[in-house]
Amino acid sequence: MKTLAVVVTTPPYSHLTITALTYVETALAAGIKVIGVFFYQDGAMHANENISIASDEYQAIAHWQRLNQQYQLPLHICITAAEMRGIACDSIDNEQINQAFTVSGLGELVELTTKATRLVQF
Amino acid sequence: MTSSDQQVDSNLSQENGLAIINSKAPFGSNYGKDALDVALIFGSFEQKVSLFFQGDGVYQLIANQDASLVSIKDYLKTFSAFEFYDIEDIYVCQQSLVNRQLDEAFHINDVQVLASVEFGKALNRHQHVLRF
Repeated sequence: MKTLAVVVTTPPYSHLTITALTYVETALAAGIKVIGVFFYQDGAMHANENISIASDEYQAIAHWQRLNQQYQLPLHICITAAEMRGIACDSIDNEQINQAFTVSGLGELVELTTKATRLVQF
Repeated sequence: MTSSDQQVDSNLSQENGLAIINSKAPFGSNYGKDALDVALIFGSFEQKVSLFFQGDGVYQLIANQDASLVSIKDYLKTFSAFEFYDIEDIYVCQQSLVNRQLDEAFHINDVQVLASVEFGKALNRHQHVLRF
């Protein structure tokens, strides 16, 4: 079975993230097995519970959360990228971290890359 | 294209592994360091990884740069550890060097300077590509 892994490097307020979300949701809806999304660089900001985007704008974080619930889509954030952006990752019940996201390391990116038929970066 | 050429190409396409394209100058952003971290992790997990330097990314390979002058921790020094991580395939785009009037004077050994077509072919041999 062909599998897809996605790397997101853009922040939640970026229009480029909308493209990533649309791409992932289209793949899921088409029945493609998406084995995970890895949030690297500014992408790690998605897990920050304190981010607030004007309500009439695209709510990227809420959409990732929805895909996580609807499709059990694994969402991994890079711990190094997250910590340097002010997201403390020291405990799992941390209120700063959106619970849809799993705190991972770059090792998870290796894992996803070796398992996926295709890796797509945004 | 002859049938033997096709044979060679299909063999090359099976090489797999990850290609990392470095396209940014070393000290103007974190992209170079972020790419290096990915390369070293893949190396330490014994996964095949090749590095490509293109556009302003070629500045990451140029010798005799002193990051401390701009108070930056010199991550370029870590490039000399590539052989310990079995990162052996390092390609630089010749046209990018020419466009910037840069000599082929690199701070690490075994860098392969490739013309655009060859650079593209080398990239095409990889199953996955990340760009920083």
